Amino acid sequence: MSVETPKPKDYKSDLKPIWCPGCGDFGVLASLYRAFAELELDPAKTVIVSGIGCSSRLPGFVKTYGFHTLHGRPLPVAMGVKLANPELTVIAVGGDGDGFAIGIGHFPHAARRNIDITYLVMDNEIYGLTKGQVSPTSAVDHKAPTTPWGNLETPINTLAFAVACSASFVARGASFNTKALTELIVQGVEHPGFSFIDALSPCVVFHNTQDEWKNLVTDVAPDHDVADRTQAFDLALRGGFSLGVVYRERRPTLNERYAQLLGAAKTSDVDAMLDAFTAREGVAMGGPAAS
Amino acid sequence: MLCASSVRGWSLGFANDGRRTLAARRPRSSGFGAAAGDDHEGALVARHSVVIRLAGESGEGVISSGDILTQAAARGGYWTQTFRTYPAEIKGGPCMYQVRMGDRKIYSHGREVDLLVCFNQEAWDLHHDALGSEGAILYDTGVDIPDEYAERARPVRMEQLAKELGGSLRAKNMVAVGAVSGVIDFDTAPIEELVLRRYAHKQGVADANIAALHAGEAEGGDLSGALAIVDPVEVEEDRVLMSGNQALALGAVAAGLDYFAGYPITPASDILEWLSAKLPQTGGITIQCEDEIASLSSVLGASYAGAKAMTATSGPGLSLMSELLGLAGAAEIPCVIVDAQRGGPSTGLPTKTEQSDLAHALYGGHGEAPRVVMAPVSVADCFWAAVDAFNFAERFQVPVIILTDQGLATRMEVIERPDTSAVDRWPRVTAEGIAAEDYKRYEYTEDSVSPMGIPGQPSGQHVATGIEHDEYGNPGYTPEIHVGMQRKRWAKLDPLADGLANHVHHGEEQPEIAIIGFGSTYGSVREAVERAADEGLSIGMFYPRVLGPFPVERVREFTDNARRVIVPEVNFTGQLARLVRGECGISVDGRAKSDGLPFTAEDIYELIVVQEVTA
Ligand SMILES: Cc1ncc(C[n+]2csc(CCOP(=O)(O)OP(=O)(O)O)c2C)c(N)n1
Ligand code: SF4
Repeated sequence: MSVETPKPKDYKSDLKPIWCPGCGDFGVLASLYRAFAELELDPAKTVIVSGIGCSSRLPGFVKTYGFHTLHGRPLPVAMGVKLANPELTVIAVGGDGDGFAIGIGHFPHAARRNIDITYLVMDNEIYGLTKGQVSPTSAVDHKAPTTPWGNLETPINTLAFAVACSASFVARGASFNTKALTELIVQGVEHPGFSFIDALSPCVVFHNTQDEWKNLVTDVAPDHDVADRTQAFDLALRGGFSLGVVYRERRPTLNERYAQLLGAAKTSDVDAMLDAFTAREGVAMGGPAAS
Repeated sequence: MLCASSVRGWSLGFANDGRRTLAARRPRSSGFGAAAGDDHEGALVARHSVVIRLAGESGEGVISSGDILTQAAARGGYWTQTFRTYPAEIKGGPCMYQVRMGDRKIYSHGREVDLLVCFNQEAWDLHHDALGSEGAILYDTGVDIPDEYAERARPVRMEQLAKELGGSLRAKNMVAVGAVSGVIDFDTAPIEELVLRRYAHKQGVADANIAALHAGEAEGGDLSGALAIVDPVEVEEDRVLMSGNQALALGAVAAGLDYFAGYPITPASDILEWLSAKLPQTGGITIQCEDEIASLSSVLGASYAGAKAMTATSGPGLSLMSELLGLAGAAEIPCVIVDAQRGGPSTGLPTKTEQSDLAHALYGGHGEAPRVVMAPVSVADCFWAAVDAFNFAERFQVPVIILTDQGLATRMEVIERPDTSAVDRWPRVTAEGIAAEDYKRYEYTEDSVSPMGIPGQPSGQHVATGIEHDEYGNPGYTPEIHVGMQRKRWAKLDPLADGLANHVHHGEEQPEIAIIGFGSTYGSVREAVERAADEGLSIGMFYPRVLGPFPVERVREFTDNARRVIVPEVNFTGQLARLVRGECGISVDGRAKSDGLPFTAEDIYELIVVQEVTA
C-alpha cells in the first residue's frame, strides 16, 4: 500500500465476482471497498471471514486476508482470529441463511462476548446459492421451492434479536444505498465491540425484492436515541426498513477484558507449572477433606 | 517383629512394632509385580506392589481417600498408578478408586485386589470378586462380611471415629487412609505432611484429621504384615504425579500453546479447566465456547492468525467437529484436537472407558480429509504426544487428533518429570521472505507443504478456503486441480508413514506371538508380555503412536514371524483389528471387549496363555 490515501479500487482483488448481474451483493461489496478506503485499512492486517453461500464468496473479491469457512461458522472462526491477534481488523460476512439458520447459535455468544468484529449479513430473505428456498428471514406466505403453498413460519426480526442478544452496535443498511451502507460499515468497524449490520441485499434471481424494498426504506429518525435500548427495541420491532444505526453501546470488548486478565495474572512457564506436580511435594488434587 | 504364627500369610494380633524394618525383607517374585506369592507358605515377605481398592457411595469420601493415598504414596517415593470409576451423576451411585503402588516402575493399575476397603455393604457386594486369593478386607462397621473371609477382614469404625476424633463425618477418609496404612505398613508421615500443609492455618482441624488418621491406622494395623510393601528405593530423579489430561495440557504448554477453546464434557473437562487457570500465566488464551463446533471453529481461526491452537473433547464433541475437520484438512490449517474417549454410542457411558472413536478419528467427516491420528500409551506419553502433535500439525499443516480415553485421561500416575529442554518446536513455514507476486498459499512443493501467509505479513495475503482451489486459493473445480490438491494434501503425510512417528515396541522384534494395540491398553499388555516372556514364550508388542497414517510396513515387519497376532482393544466392533487386517492384509485374532473397564494385565495374560494351551 502506498503512502497516499488508498482508493476503493485498491482493495479489489483480481478475482471477478461470480454473482448474477444485478445481485445486491455487488452493492455491499462496493460499499465495503469504499469503507475500507475511508478507514485506510492495511490489507495485510485485515481479515474477512465468511461462511458458505453466494454472499460468502465475498472475501475472494477483496485484496486482504480472507477465510472462507463453513456454512454458519464465520462468527466463531472470526472470534479465534481476533482473540489470537487483537491488532487485526476482523470482518465476518455471510447470508441470512448462514447467519440466522445454521449459524444462529453462535450469534448470541459473539454478541454477549462483545468480540471486536464487524458482522455484515447480506440479507436477501432467501437461500441464493441453493436456488431460492425460504430462509429464516423470509416473510410469512412467501412461496419458494420448499414452501409451494407459502411459508408457514414467522420470520426472525434480526435487529430486535441483535438488540436482545446484547450486540453493542446494531444497524441496518441496504445494497442499493451504498453511500449510507459505506458509512455504516465505517462506523461498525470503528466501533469497539460486536457490530452487527444487516444489509438488505436482494437476490434478483430467486426473490427479486429490489423495487419493493427501495420503496419501503426510510432513514432512522434523527431524534432516535441510539444509546437507549428501549427505543432501539421499539424501532426494531416496528418493522425492518429504517436504515441507519439502531443501537450503540460502549462496553469492554472480550479482548479488552482478556488483556486486563493477562495483566493481572502472574506469569509462569511450563517448568514452574511442572513444579506443582512434583511427587514429593504432594500435588493439588482433592486433598484431605475439611472436617 | 512380625508375627510368625500367621495363617496363609496373615499376621494376627498387634505384634508389629518393627514394621519399618520390612525393607530388608526378601521380595516375592512371581506373577505381576510380585502381587501373589509362590514362596513358602506363611513366610512373610514384603511386596513390590500392592493394589488397594476403595469402594463406596459417591460423595462419601472414597475419591478423596484415594486421592490422599495416591499423593501420600507418591510423596513417600512409590511409583503409583490409579484407576477410578464413578457414576455419571454428581451424588449417589457406586464409585471405586483403585491405587496401585510399587517400589519399582509399574505399568498398569493391576487387577487382583490385595486390599479392599468397603465404605458400605454395596461396595462389598460389587467388589469382593476382584479380591485376590489372599486379599484382605477393611470395612466400616455394619457391613456384613461372610464368615469365610473373617480371618482376613477387619472392621474399622470409620463413621464413629470420624465423628469422635475427626470432628465430622468428612474425616472418614482420614480413618480409611489410616487403616490402609496400618495394613500395608505404610509410613503415615507423608499423609500427616499433606494434612498439615492443607490446614496450615487451622491447627485444630489438622490435629483432628491426624487423630482420625492414627485411630484408623491402629484399627488397620490389626491386619498388618502380609500386605506390607517394600520400602521405596531412595531416588535422585525428579518424579511428578499427574493424570493423562494434565500431562496433555502441560505438553501443550511446553509445545507453545497460545489458544485453547473447549466445551465441557466428561472426561475431557479438566483440560479446559486447568488451562483456564494456567494458560493466561503464559500470555495465552483459554475460552469456554458455546459448543464444540464453535470451539474448533475458533481454534482454526486462531491458528489461521498464527497461534498454536488446541481443543479437547470426548466422542459427542468429536462428532460435532467432523465438518470442521474437513475444513482444516482442505484449507490446511494446523490444529490439535484431543478426544478423551468414553463409552458410546450417543451419550453412552460418560464416565466409563472405551476406545471406540478410532474409526471416527481416522475417517470421520465427508470427502476424505487428511489428518494425523495419535494414541499416547501412558501418562508420560501424553505429555510427549501433545508436543509431537503440535509439531506434526505445524509441519504438515493438518489437524492432529490425539486419542486418549477415560482410563488414561483420569488416572493418576507417578512418572519421571518430563525434560522440557528436550522439547523441540517445529516452526511453521510462512510467507516470510516471499515476494507478494510470487506467493501461492497452496503451492505445489517438493514436500507438498506450502507457505502459510499469516495475517500481518504483507506478502502472504490469500483466502483460506474449504472449497476446492488452485495453488493461489482461488476456487477451481477441474479434474487437474482436484486430483492435484488431494494428492498434495495426502502426500504431506508421507514422512509419518515412512518412520517419522516413533512407535512403541516392546519384547521381541519379530515374535511368534505378536500383540498389536493402541493407547491406554499399553501398560497392561506390557506387564502381560513381560510375564509371558519370562515364562519362555516368543512374544512382543507393537503400539503405533501414530495410527493415521497407519504404519503398514512396520506392522508387516513386526508380524513377519508371527503365528498369532492378537489385537486387544476396548470397543465392540474390533476397529483396530479391522484396520490391521484391511491395511496390512494379515489375519489377526481380534480381542475386543466393551464393558467400560480397561484391560488388566491378567486379562491379557489369559488371552495369551489360555489360547496357547488350547491351540
Ligand atoms: C452443512 C451445510 N448444509 C447445507 C449447505 C448448502 N448450502 C450452501 S449455501 C446455503 C444457504 C445459502 O443461503 P444464505 O446463507 O442466505 O446465502 P446466500 O446464498 O443467499 O447469499 C446452503 C443451505 C452447506 N454448504 N453446508
Ligand atoms: S443467486 Fe441471488 S444471491 Fe446468488 S448471486 Fe444470484 S442474485 Fe445474488
